[in-house]
Formats: sequence, C-alpha cells, structure tokens
Amino acid sequence: MSDTAAAHEAPTSTGIDHKKLIMWLFLASDCMFFGTLISTHLLYRKLFPAGFTDAEGHQRFIQNLFNVELTSFSTFILLMSSFLMALAVSAMHKGQIKSFRRNVLGVIFFGLIFLGCQVYEFTHFYHEGLTIQNSVLGSTFYVLTGTHGTHVAIGVLWLIMMYFYSFTGKLGGHMGALDVEIAGLYWHFVDIVWIIIFTAVYLVEYLGPNGIWGTGLPVVAK
Amino acid sequence: MSHDSHHAPVACKTELAPERSDLGLIRPDRTTGLMDWLTTVDHKKIGILYGAFAMFYFLVGGVEALAIRTQLARPDNDFVTARMYNQLFTMHGTTMIFLGVMPLSAAFFNFLVPLQIGARDVAFPRLNAFSLWTFVFGAFVLNASWFFEFAHLAGWFNSFDWHKALVYTDFAPANGWFSYAPLSGTFGQNGQALRFTGVGTDFWIIGIQVLGIASLAASFNFICTIINMRAKGMTMMRLPVFTWMTLVTAVLIILAFPAITVALIELMFDRTFGANFFNPSAGGQPVLWQHLFWIFGHPEVYILVLPAMGIVSEVLPTFSGKSLFGYPIIVFSGAVIGFLGFAVWSHHMFTTGLGPVPTAAFSLLTMAIAVPTGVKIFNWLGTIWGGRVRFTPPMVLALGFIWMFMCGGFSGVMHSAAPADSQQQDSYFVIAHFHYVLLGGVLLGLMAGLYFWFPKIFGRMPNAPIAYIASGLVILGFNVAFGPMHYLGLAGQPRRTHTYHAGNGWEQWNYVATIGAYILGIGVALAFVNLVWTAFRGKKCSNDPWDGRTLEWSLPSPVPEYNFAQAPIVATRDAFFEDKHGTKRIGSEPDGGEAGVHMPSQSWMPLVASAGFLFIGFGMPMMAMGVPHAGWLVIGGLGVLFLGIWLWALEGPGGYMLKTPAASGAPVPTETVAH
Amino acid sequence: MSSSHEAAPSQDFLAEEVRRYHHFIVLALWLAVVTGAEIVLIFLPIPVAAILTILTLMSAGKFFAVILWFMHLIYDKRLLFWCFFAGLALAFATYAAMIMLFSVDRIDTRWFS
Repeated sequence: MSDTAAAHEAPTSTGIDHKKLIMWLFLASDCMFFGTLISTHLLYRKLFPAGFTDAEGHQRFIQNLFNVELTSFSTFILLMSSFLMALAVSAMHKGQIKSFRRNVLGVIFFGLIFLGCQVYEFTHFYHEGLTIQNSVLGSTFYVLTGTHGTHVAIGVLWLIMMYFYSFTGKLGGHMGALDVEIAGLYWHFVDIVWIIIFTAVYLVEYLGPNGIWGTGLPVVAK
Repeated sequence: MSHDSHHAPVACKTELAPERSDLGLIRPDRTTGLMDWLTTVDHKKIGILYGAFAMFYFLVGGVEALAIRTQLARPDNDFVTARMYNQLFTMHGTTMIFLGVMPLSAAFFNFLVPLQIGARDVAFPRLNAFSLWTFVFGAFVLNASWFFEFAHLAGWFNSFDWHKALVYTDFAPANGWFSYAPLSGTFGQNGQALRFTGVGTDFWIIGIQVLGIASLAASFNFICTIINMRAKGMTMMRLPVFTWMTLVTAVLIILAFPAITVALIELMFDRTFGANFFNPSAGGQPVLWQHLFWIFGHPEVYILVLPAMGIVSEVLPTFSGKSLFGYPIIVFSGAVIGFLGFAVWSHHMFTTGLGPVPTAAFSLLTMAIAVPTGVKIFNWLGTIWGGRVRFTPPMVLALGFIWMFMCGGFSGVMHSAAPADSQQQDSYFVIAHFHYVLLGGVLLGLMAGLYFWFPKIFGRMPNAPIAYIASGLVILGFNVAFGPMHYLGLAGQPRRTHTYHAGNGWEQWNYVATIGAYILGIGVALAFVNLVWTAFRGKKCSNDPWDGRTLEWSLPSPVPEYNFAQAPIVATRDAFFEDKHGTKRIGSEPDGGEAGVHMPSQSWMPLVASAGFLFIGFGMPMMAMGVPHAGWLVIGGLGVLFLGIWLWALEGPGGYMLKTPAASGAPVPTETVAH
Repeated sequence: MSSSHEAAPSQDFLAEEVRRYHHFIVLALWLAVVTGAEIVLIFLPIPVAAILTILTLMSAGKFFAVILWFMHLIYDKRLLFWCFFAGLALAFATYAAMIMLFSVDRIDTRWFS
C-alpha cells in the first residue's frame, strides 16, 4: 500500500471497486461450478436411490451413515463463522484492527472445527464401507463435499495469512478494508454453498421411511 | 514510504532507479529484451504474445489437418495408422479451438479493449500476465503428449510393461476433442479403473483444465475492465461493437467453463482414483459426460464466433464509410445469441434418445438462434448498402466471412431439425457445417482482424498484393475442401474413421477435398508469412491508414506504453470518426503534467505461479500412468502455484511514473540516462 | 500511505456501521433458529411434499439472507446483485433441466441397485 496505491484507486465507471466486482463475477462462476457438482450428486441419487453395497455385501442406505447431530453442529459452526466474518469486515470498515483480529481468529477457529468434523465424517463413512471406488454414491458424495471442504481450507489459509499480515501494519485504510471484504465475500459464499448442501445432500435423505428417493427396499440396520 | 527516485517521472522506464518490492526483491521494471517480455504486464505486449503463440498453434493444427486430408485422399490409404489418425483428429480439433482460435481472440481482446474504451490498461495487469503464461504452459502440456507418443513409436519405452496400466497405449489424446465417456473413462468394478485409452487422455484432461483456468482468469479481468474502466462519456451504448462482443464472450466463458471444469475433475477422479462418475460397470452414466460437456461446449461455439463477429462489425463500417447499421440491434442480438447458447446444448445429443418433448424443445430453441444471427447479417448488409466500399484485404476477408458464415448457418439450421440431424449425425455433413462456421466464419473474421489492426499494432502495413492472393487462396481452398464434404456426408461417409474402401462413391470428392485443403494450407501459410514479415520489415504507415472510427486509431502506431497521454472524454459513438469528420470532438482530461502517467510495475510472480501448472500438468498424467512418486510432482506444482500467488500478494502493486511527450515537451528520448 | 485514507470515518458512516452490526446479530440468530427448525422439520409426521417445500423455502431464505446482509448486497450497488444472480439463475435453470432430462424410466438401473 504505497503512495502509488492512490493511483490505482482512480474512480471506476460504475463506482464499484475492481476487486469487489471481480470477486462477485468469480462467485457467479462458482455458482455454475457447485451447480454442476450438486446436480451430479442429485442425479445419481434419483437414479440409484438404494444407496450402496458395503464390503460385506450388505445393501446400505446413506441416512444410516449420516449423523444428523454432527452435520447440524458443523452447519451451525459454519453459519456462526459467517457471522464473525461479517463482524470482522465491519471492524475493518471502522478501522478497529484489534476487533478485526479477534473476529477473524474466531472465523479461522470455526473453519478448522468444520474441517475437523468433515475429516471425522469421511473417516467414519470410509470405515462403514462407503468409498469413492465402490459406488457412484461414494464418488459423488466425497467429491462434492470434498470440493466444498477444499474451498473452506483455502478460505482458512487465506484468513490465516490475512491475520498475520495485519501485524505488519500494511493492512489498513480503504484498500485494507476492501481486501478483508473480498476475503469475507469468499467465506460467505462457501457458507451459502453449505446451506444448499446441508439441505439437498443431508436433510432430504431423512424424509419418509426410505428417504425422499423412496425405494421400498428394506433398510438394513447398522 | 517516501517518494524515492523510483517514483520520479521518467521518460523511459530504463531510466528508473532500481526499486525493491515489499518483499525486498528488485522489481523487473527496468528490464529489456527477453526479461521484459517474460515479466510484462502491458496489455499490448501480452496481446502480441497471445497472437504469436496462437499463430504458431494454428500452423501445428494445420499440419495435423493436412496429415488427416492426406490420409483420406485415396481409399484404403495407409499414410498414417488408425491409431495415429485418431490422435491427429483429436489434437487437430483441440489445438484449433483451445490453442488457435481462443488465444487469437484473446490477443485481440488484450490489445484492443483498453484502447477502444480509452483506458491505460486492464483492471488487473498481473492477472492478465498470469492468464497468458497459464495458457502457454497448458498448451505445452497438451502438446508434450506428442513427444511421448513419438518416443514410444521410436521404441524408447519398450523395456517397460505399460500394459499393466494401459489397455491401449495412446500417448497422445485420441478420443476426439469432446472425449466422450465411456471411451475416455473407465470400466470395471470396485476401483479397478480399467481404461479404454492411454495416458494421452490424461494429458488432455489436465491440459484443458489448465487452459480453462487461463480463460477464466482472463475473462474475469475483461468483464471488470469493460464495465469499470471506460473513459468519461463512454457509456455502454457507445462501446465499439468489438468491445461489446468481448464482454458477451467473457460472460459466456465464466458461466460455461465451470461445467467442463467439474466434468474434467470427475473424469480425472475416474481415471486416477477409481471413482465411478462415468463408469458404466458401476452404474455411472456416460451420457452425463455428454450433458456436462455440451453445457460447456455449446456456449464455447459462441465463445469462438462472437469475437469474429465483433471484428467484422468494426471492419465493415470502416471500409463502407458508414456507421454500423442498427448498432443497438447488433449488440442486442449478440447478447441474445450468448444467452440462447446456454439453452440448446442437447441438440448435440439428439441421437442419445432424450424423449420427444426435450427433443422438440431443444430443436425449437436451436432454430430460434438463427433469428438474432440473421438479424446481424442483415445489419451488416445494411452497413455496406449505399456505402463507398473500399475493397482492402480486411474488407475482402470480412465479406468472405458474411458469405461463408451464412452457408455454415444454413446447414446449422438443417441440423436443428432433429429427424434430419439423426441422419447427419457423425457424418461428414457435420464436418462441413462446423468448418464453414469455424473456418469460413471465425478464421476469416480473425484474419480480417489481423490485417485490419496490424498497422496499429506494429505501425507497419502488410503487403497488399500478397494479402489479396492469400485471402483468395484461403476462400477458394476452403470452399474446395469443405464444400464437397456436404455431399460426402449425405452420401454416408462417417466421421472419425481412418480410411474407407473404394466403391462407395466417395473417392472423387475426397480427392478434391484434399486438394482444397492444400490450397487452404498454402493460403494460410502465405498470409502468416506476410504478417510476420510485416511485423519486422513491413513498410511504415501512418497512425490512421484506414480512416478508422474508434479510439485506438487516434493513437500513434505503435501505441506508446501508457496508451493515452491524456485520458479521452468521449461524446459519441465512433468517437474518432466524429472527431475527424463530424462536429463532436474528443475531449481530454488534464494529464498528470510533471507527475506523469502512472504505470503498473512488472512482475515475475504471474510467471512463477503459472509455472506450477507445468509440474501439475506432467505430474497428473504420470500419476495416472502409474509412474512411482509422480504424486509428489503434483504436490510440488501446487506448492509452486501457491508460492507464486503468495509472493504476488505480498510484493505489493508497486508502480512508477512515466513522462508523456506532452508533459516533458519533447519526444521520448531513446538513450538511457546513467543511473 | 496518503493521509486521506487514514482519516477517521465520519459520524454517519459509524452510525451506519452500528446499524449493520445489529442487523448481523439478528440475522445470525435467525440463521441458527431456521437451521434448528429444519432439523426438527425432517422428523415431523407430515407429508413429504410439504416438508420438501418448506425445506426448500427455508434454505433459499437462509441463502439470500446471507447474500443480502452478510455479503452486503443490500447495501451495495445493484449491478453486483445482478452479476451474481445471472450465474445463480443460469446454474439453477440449466441443472434443473439436466436432472429432468435423466428420466428413470429411460435408464435401466436394475443392475446396479
């Protein structure tokens, strides 16, 4: 943020900062990205409602694997991290760097908890017999939620770097607040993608005795 | 930070005092020669590099095309093997689309958009450099597969038991530019991941993935530039049509490419990690690949053609001496074509059995696209009508575009009728159709653009007689090559088949088509030689040799680094033409005076970051091939990518001030002042 | 660093930030409540179609609430909303169409179920 930064801030035609505009364009593009992944998953749920066959040859339903308490907890954690992120951006706008650091540390912490939950979930499912290789369900589920997890991990990494960068004293003023706001936009987007995944991938599996995709096949007890 | 000597305005960047970035590294601002080209963030230099690489790959793709035509010249020919033939047509399509047409369009975007909107650079100059180098490395990875194939043919790999990992040993991609699953995918249960094709497909997957990242990054940048960096008075409805088409194309890219990105990730997981997205043995639906591919692939067709339409919309008014007829309708039609392009993907899949209702719907929507396209063609004709037409080389090519593109459009409408399409599917008729659109349309449009703007880019005028001869050869050769294919297709000759038997009645026209292909090849080669010669040795010309209409012609040729010494204020559409011949003058904002013009600093970091893709690009196919420890190459590549972006973020934007001739009161001196 | 950027934010600006702060807290509470309601909803003995409708509305509500307030779209220029909405609407329409194109009665799934 040298004196030349001022020259970069030549007023734009629309009054919107370049960085903010490009971030929203990226998010629009990312809608198509996650749209493709989510629709691939839903498509195969529609075609193969029966779930998957585990290593012992048992027919398994995915809702028997799901743990609604764990998923709700990590959803709640991610929503609250979004709240803290909004506060961190607000603090930067007001020039309160200490408040920014506190909030962003909270976001990082919650993000890591979310990732921890996902690692636990993946390990648990794997031991229960759902692998990326043994069924279409495994492939779509792991790649969809894994891609989302990768987005979260990139966000955590970004915020960690921003947290340490704030100690150099260079993260300040209008440009600093803008940089934080851009990171915030990314973080919120990752959050809203999870709102969709939580409903479309997890919750709908609980509807009716055999899930929304209702098969009539008996549910094998764990 | 203080105003050190680095920020004092200088007349030439080589006079700058060395400056350290926020990281403590010396910024490559003062470099010249190769170092300058590698670190440049100047949109004009990046545009020239895009153009140079694109023309090179056009020649590569052209050689592949001639090999294909040579093979098909005679029945039962054995000029190349069936395997090599598959690789040739796959790489021909992929090269022409992703490494020829798209980068050449990108070259025009880069060079022209900031000039046409009265800006000094794009919104994110370093991101622009990143797009360029990512494209260069992606293209290299894709084509490196040829070296593996040739090494394999030379017997270098014979001591390895490749058949452990590969069913067939294609080292170059060989499943067509669309790489349909399950041919490109896997079969077998529980992660066996048995593959139908060799490692060439893995090169294709990662190559297209990297090229997609380059296109996406560039498109975000251009939308941002066009929306946000217009000169004062340059309202959206005063934008030159080329800039408008750039905007529509960029929007198409950012919304269409994610579909192929995800599809490629899924295919990569199938092949490398044994997933089942498209694996028919485990319930995967290969037709899903077709859907995802064409959700990307159909907008891609408009991504290819809209820039050429933009170029023609600039060339025709200039050489007709009239403003573009129906400007708002042309812009609107372009946007409608772009929008409808997302709603017709399944017309590539009529024969997969979509069911009567979807087939009818996609059929109707496809026919609807003919309407805005027709509107454009009538508006172009209206532009020429009653004008004082000058038949310069770009004009000849632009007129060729209208005519040939129309022919391609007509056969396109024939495909939109599903019953007819099911007869034409996979026949040479389809090849005739899309070559009329992509060659008769896009290539002629892009060549018109090259001949039109070369005097602006290099300040030198291409040799006109050679240009006329080349244009004539291209249009003639192209019609001789692809016209007969309409007949061949309807007579039943299938696509993607390495040879045919005598006695089907196809011999004569295949022979003619091959002769046409060679005429076309000579024409394109002649044009490129003419252009390259012009760039270095051509006759110098004035700043405005064509009596141009848009802002770029108001600048000196070649354009100075800072583009506009004083930012223009625009009062009308075709601002420069009005300024010369009309009543409305181009105003100018006060310049920086003694402070000079702010220039962005050059940087190594975009190059470093995109070099990561080189490691990833070689690591992923090797991993799929079962080469031990290849995964570490991928991780190393991700590390380089991350490092590059990290250092890029931390080095700070930098920048220096450049004196304009107006401010310093003298032309820019060429000798370097001691520092 | 030029001094203009370091200047203390104006009083209006601060008042606006305080107002937003309260919005954020209220919204966070609502998000938590709606998520809780979703989890209860899926176990209620009412028709699946009704649950599905309510679930869709609830998650769409959460989605747009985060976009509008946390992501500032309600405070920012409208162009940004349309930029994003274009991608969102296109993704929704395209993939809804694609899922509908995969009709179960056209694909033989018996072997894999």
